[in-house]
Amino acid sequence: MTLVYVEHQDGTPEEVSLQALALARGLAGGGEVHALVAGASAEAASGLLGEHGVATVHVPDHEVYASHAPVALGRALTQLAARLGSHTVVAAGTERGNEVMAHAAAIADAPLAANCTEVGAGAELTVTRIRWGGSLLEEARVHGETALLTVAPHAVEASSVGAGPAAAVERFAPELSDADTAVRVVERVSTSAGGGVTLADAKFVVSCGRGVGSPEGFAPAEELAALLGGAVGCSRAVTIAGWRPHTDQVGQTGTKIAPEVYLACGISGATQHMAGCKGAKRIIAVNTDPEAPIISHAEYAVIGDLHEVIPAITAELRKAGAG
Amino acid sequence: MNILVCVKRVPMTGGTIVLTPDEQAIETRHLGFTISPHEECGVEEAVRLIEAQGGESVVLSLGPSDAEEQLRDAMALGIDRAILLQTDEEFDGQATAAAILASIEADRAAGVEYDLIFFGNESADSGNYQVGIRVAHALGRPCVTGVKGITVENGRARCEQEVPGGRDVYDVALPAVVTVKEGLNLPRYPSVPGRLRAKRKPLETRSPKRTAPGVEKIRLKLPEGDTSQAEILGHGPAAAPAVVDVLRRAGLVA
Amino acid sequence: MLVRIMRLGRPAERFDDVPQRVRQEAVVALGQKKILQRIGPGLMHALIFWGFIVLFPTIVIAMIGAVDKGATLPWLGHQGWFAFLVDLFAVLVLASVCAAFYIRKVVRPARFEGSHLGEADLILLWIAGIVTTLLLWHATRIALGINEWPASWSPAANALSNLFGTGQPTETLERVFVWAHVLLILSFLAYLPYSKHLHIITAVINVYFGRTTPRGRLEPLVFDDPDVPEDEIRMGAGTLTDMTWKQMMDTVTCTECGRCQEVCPAWNTGKALSPKLLIMGLRDHMLEQGPKLLAGDEEAAGVPLVPNAVTDEVVWDCVTCGACVRECPVSIEHIDHIVDLRRHLVMAEARFPAEADPMMRDIERSSNPWGKAQQERADWSEGLGVRILEPGEQPPEVLYWVGCAASFDERARQTAVSTAKLLQAAGVDFAILGPRESCTGDPARRMGNEYVFQAFAAENVETLNDAGVTKIVASCPHCFNTLANEYPDFGGRYEVMHHTELLAQLVRDGRLAATAGSEQITYHDSCYLARHNDVIADPRTLVEAVGTPVEMANHGKRTFCCGAGGAHMWMEERGNAINEERVRQAAETGAKTLAVACPFCTVMLDDGVRTSGSDLRVADVATLLAESLEDG
Repeated sequence: MTLVYVEHQDGTPEEVSLQALALARGLAGGGEVHALVAGASAEAASGLLGEHGVATVHVPDHEVYASHAPVALGRALTQLAARLGSHTVVAAGTERGNEVMAHAAAIADAPLAANCTEVGAGAELTVTRIRWGGSLLEEARVHGETALLTVAPHAVEASSVGAGPAAAVERFAPELSDADTAVRVVERVSTSAGGGVTLADAKFVVSCGRGVGSPEGFAPAEELAALLGGAVGCSRAVTIAGWRPHTDQVGQTGTKIAPEVYLACGISGATQHMAGCKGAKRIIAVNTDPEAPIISHAEYAVIGDLHEVIPAITAELRKAGAG
Repeated sequence: MNILVCVKRVPMTGGTIVLTPDEQAIETRHLGFTISPHEECGVEEAVRLIEAQGGESVVLSLGPSDAEEQLRDAMALGIDRAILLQTDEEFDGQATAAAILASIEADRAAGVEYDLIFFGNESADSGNYQVGIRVAHALGRPCVTGVKGITVENGRARCEQEVPGGRDVYDVALPAVVTVKEGLNLPRYPSVPGRLRAKRKPLETRSPKRTAPGVEKIRLKLPEGDTSQAEILGHGPAAAPAVVDVLRRAGLVA
Repeated sequence: MLVRIMRLGRPAERFDDVPQRVRQEAVVALGQKKILQRIGPGLMHALIFWGFIVLFPTIVIAMIGAVDKGATLPWLGHQGWFAFLVDLFAVLVLASVCAAFYIRKVVRPARFEGSHLGEADLILLWIAGIVTTLLLWHATRIALGINEWPASWSPAANALSNLFGTGQPTETLERVFVWAHVLLILSFLAYLPYSKHLHIITAVINVYFGRTTPRGRLEPLVFDDPDVPEDEIRMGAGTLTDMTWKQMMDTVTCTECGRCQEVCPAWNTGKALSPKLLIMGLRDHMLEQGPKLLAGDEEAAGVPLVPNAVTDEVVWDCVTCGACVRECPVSIEHIDHIVDLRRHLVMAEARFPAEADPMMRDIERSSNPWGKAQQERADWSEGLGVRILEPGEQPPEVLYWVGCAASFDERARQTAVSTAKLLQAAGVDFAILGPRESCTGDPARRMGNEYVFQAFAAENVETLNDAGVTKIVASCPHCFNTLANEYPDFGGRYEVMHHTELLAQLVRDGRLAATAGSEQITYHDSCYLARHNDVIADPRTLVEAVGTPVEMANHGKRTFCCGAGGAHMWMEERGNAINEERVRQAAETGAKTLAVACPFCTVMLDDGVRTSGSDLRVADVATLLAESLEDG
C-alpha cells in the first residue's frame, strides 16, 4: 500500500502532487493509495484526491500544522506509514516535498530517492532519478523494506481515474516531541515590491546574460516584461557581477521557472542554467552564436544581438496593440 | 562559537555532459572543479559569523584526495582548518550522512562540539536533498533548510527561507543544523595572503566507512530529446514578428 | 632628500644590460629621439637641450669672467668655432623659447590640462634670461674690445655689440650682464630641485634605468622566495614604500608635458584616467609622505596609494595600450605603475570592479575567462580535419595556439577557422592542443592577479615543454605577447610568431596565392602587436595582397586602442566608448572593410560598428586572405 504526501493551497492539491499521485498509483499496481494532507482546509482536498485515486485522506491533528513544520510532518508521515503498513511513500519533488520526505527518511532510517522520473517494478524497486538539475539521469536500485521517493515536477502526467466518490477523511493525532515542533515557521516577511509577478510564477520570463553589458542594459528587457505582465531573469554570471540580485537568477541554484514562454537572450545555455528553465513550455533563444548550446535545447531561436532584438519585439508588440 | 561547514567537490560542466564509457560517471577530463554553489555561500557565512563573533570554523568534505583543492579554497576565504574524509567511491545520501556523523562524533570524543553546522541544500551533481537533515536527526538537533538569510544571537539562529511573495522565518536554538542556498550572501574573492595562509592551515585526513547503499546507482544516462535543433525564427530585429507570433500562440498576447 | 626617499623603495633589477642602457641613453637622452616623435615641440626642446650642453662651458667662463674681468677658460675661451657654436645655440635657444611660448600661449594644446603652467612659464623666462644675458655680455665685451675670441665668429653677439659704445656705461653694463648671467644661473640651479625642471637631472638617470626588456613583458612578482617571510611578500604597490625606486624616480621625472594624456584612449573618451595626472598624483604623494617617513612618522608608511594618490576609477580605466609609454620622452613606465597598483588591490585586498568577478573565477576554475568547459575548446575545428595533439605524440613543426577568444567567441572563431584552412592550404605541419590549451593568463595578469597568472604560466609551460613544442603561432596578439615575452620567465622558451607574421611569410614565399582585389581596406593595428611588439609590416603585406589599403590617421605605433586591453573585454565602460571612437576613425577613411589581427579587436570593433550603425565589415586579415584564396 502506497502513501503519498500531498501539498495543497487552501484545499486545492498542487498539480505536482497530483503528478506524484499518478506515479504512486502505478507503483501500487492495483493496491490502495492513501494520502497525508496537513494544514488548514486539508479535508477540502478529499474531493479532487478521490478523483485521482486516493482511498483515504489522513489529516494529522495538531496546532503545529497551522504553518509549515517540516519535522512534525516527517514524523506524522512515518508514524502513519508504519501504522498503515506502507512500504513506499511518495511525494512531489518540490522544495518542501523533498524537505519533508528527507525528515521522514531520517526518522525512519530509510532510503530516499529524490526527484524520480520513472519507477520500475521488479524484484527490487528501481528508479530513474534526476542529477544535475535534469541534465543527467541516474538509474538506481532502492534497497530496504521501506522506500521514500519524490517525483520530479512535470516528469509524470497527472491523470484522474474519472468521476467517483471523494476520498474518505480520517483525522489522527501524531505523537510529537518538543524537538519535532521546534522547527516551524514563526513569521512571514513580505518582500515583493508589490505589483510585480514573481519569477517562479510568471507566464513570461525574459532573461539576459553577461552580453547585456551593464545593469542599465536590462532596461529593454524590463520594458518587454512589463508589457506582457511577465518577469525579468538573469544568468549566474550577471548575479556574480553584481548587476542583479540573486532572486532574479534563473538556474539550478537560483529560481526554477516554468513559464509559457522563456526568452533567453545572450545566454549560452550551460547545464546549470538549463536546469532552471527546463520547466518552460517554450524556449526562444536570442543569441549571436548559432553554435551556442542553448540552440539545441530551445524550441525557437533568433540569431541576432539582444540589444537590437528585444526592442524590436517590444515595438512589434506595441504595434499589435499589446500593453 | 564553533562552526562546521560541509562541502562537496563538483565538476563544472559546460554546455553538454559527457559520460565515461562505463556510464558510471561524468567524463571530467579537462573539466574544472569547484565547491558546489550552495555550499560556497555556507563557507562565506561561516567565515562572516566567526569574524563577527569569534570562535573557530572547520570545513569538511567527503571525497577524493583532489578535494583538498576545495578545502584549501575554503580556508583561503578564512576557514581555520579542514577535514577530508577521503574516498574514491561514490556514497549515497544515507552513507554520506553516516560518514559525516561518524566524523562529528569523533570530534565530540576529542572535545570539539559544533554550535552550527552548515550544509548545502542539495549538491549540484547528485541532488539528494537529504544529507543535512539526516545528520541533524542523528545528532538530535533542529534543522532548517533552504536558508537564504541567517542571524545568530543569544544562542539562537533566526533563519529565513524564500517563498513566493516573501520569506518564512524560523527561530531555533543552537546547536543547530542549517542547509543553505546560493543567494545567502555573495562569497568574497580570496586574497593572496589568504591563499598562502590556507596552504599551511591544518588539513586532517580521515578514512570514512561506506555503509551499504540504500539508493544504489546502476548507471547514468543522458536525457533524450535534446538533440533537435531549434527552429530559427529569423535573424536580428527582422525576426520580431515571428517572435510575437509565438507569444500570441502561447496565449500571452491578446 | 629624494635619494633618501627612494632608498625606502623596493629594489628593481635595472643594473644589468649595460650596453643596451648606454645605447638608450645616447639615443633617447642625448639624441632626444622620443621627444622628436612630435617634430614641432620636439625640435623646440631638442634645441634648448643641445643648447644647454653646448653652453655648459660658458657657465664656467661666466663665473671666471665675473670674478676676473680679464680671464676666461684656457684654450676653449679663445676658440672661434666654440664661440660660433655658443652664438648659434644661444640664438636657437632664444628662438625655441619663443616657440615654446607660442605653443603654450597661442596654440594652447589640451595636453597641458592639469599641468602646472605657471611654473613652466617661469622656467622659460629664466632660460630666456640666461641666454639673453649671455649674448649681451658677449656683445658688451666685443664693444669694449675685450673679447677673447674673434668677434666675427659670433655674429649675433657681434651685431648686438653695435648697441654699445666704448665708454663707462658699457663698462658697467658688461659687469652687470655677467653678474646677472651668473646670478640667474645660480638661482636657477637653486630653484631646480623644487620644480619639474629637476627633470634635467632625473630624466638622464631615468632614461638610463629604463626598461631593456621587451615592452610587452610585465615584471614578475616572486611569491616563493624562501628568504622573504610571507607577510613581507611584495604584492604590487599598496603604499609609498611598496613602490620600487625606479617607480619613485619615474614620478619625479615627469615634466608634465602631457603627451601621454593626449594619446590616452581612456582620457580621450571622457574617463578619469590621465597617465600624466596619475604620475603627478604619485609624485605629490611621494613628496608629501616621503619626508614624513624619513622623519620617523609611522603612520605615513601606511597611507594607501589608492585612493589617496590615485583613485580606484583611474586605476581601472587603463586598457594597457601603451600609447603613453610610447610618447613619454623621459622613459616613464606608466603601465608598470598601474599594474602594480592593480596587483595590490586585487591580490592583497581582493578589491576590484564586481563585473570582473565572474571572469576571474572562471579563469581559475574553468581555465578560460569565458567559463566554458575546456572539453568544448576544440569544437570550432569540427569537420576541418585539424590535428589535436595528444600527450605522448610527436610534436608538430608548428603549434597553433588558438586562444580562448577564438575557441569560444563566435565572432573570433572565424579567425581560427580561416587560419587553420590557410595553414592547411600552405601545407604547414601544425596541430592544436585542444582542451589542454588553457588561458595564457593575460587577462588575469593585466587585472593585477599575478598569482593566478603564474599558476597558468607554469601549467602551460609544462604542457608545451612536455609536448616538445619549439615553434608556436598564435592568432591572438595577447597570447602571442605572453607566450613570446612573458613565458620565458617561467621556463618557456619558444619561437613565437603572430599568425600575420607566418601568413605574410607564406604569401611572400608563394605558398599561399592570394588574388588581389580593389576593395578598400583599412587595417587597425592592435596595441599588443604594433606598440608592444613592433609587428606592423606583416599584416599590411596581407592587406595589400587582397585589397587596396588605406591608412587611418592613428596607425602603426600611433594606433588607437579598440578598448579591450587591460581586461576591459570583461568590464563595463563608463563615458563614451573607446571602440566607437575607433570605428568612427575607421569610417572616416571611406573604406568598406576594417581589417584586424586580433580576436578582441574583432569583437570590440564589430560591437562598435553595430552600436554606431556603420556599415563597415570587420574581419581578421586571415579571413580576408582565406576568402581571396577561395575566390581565386
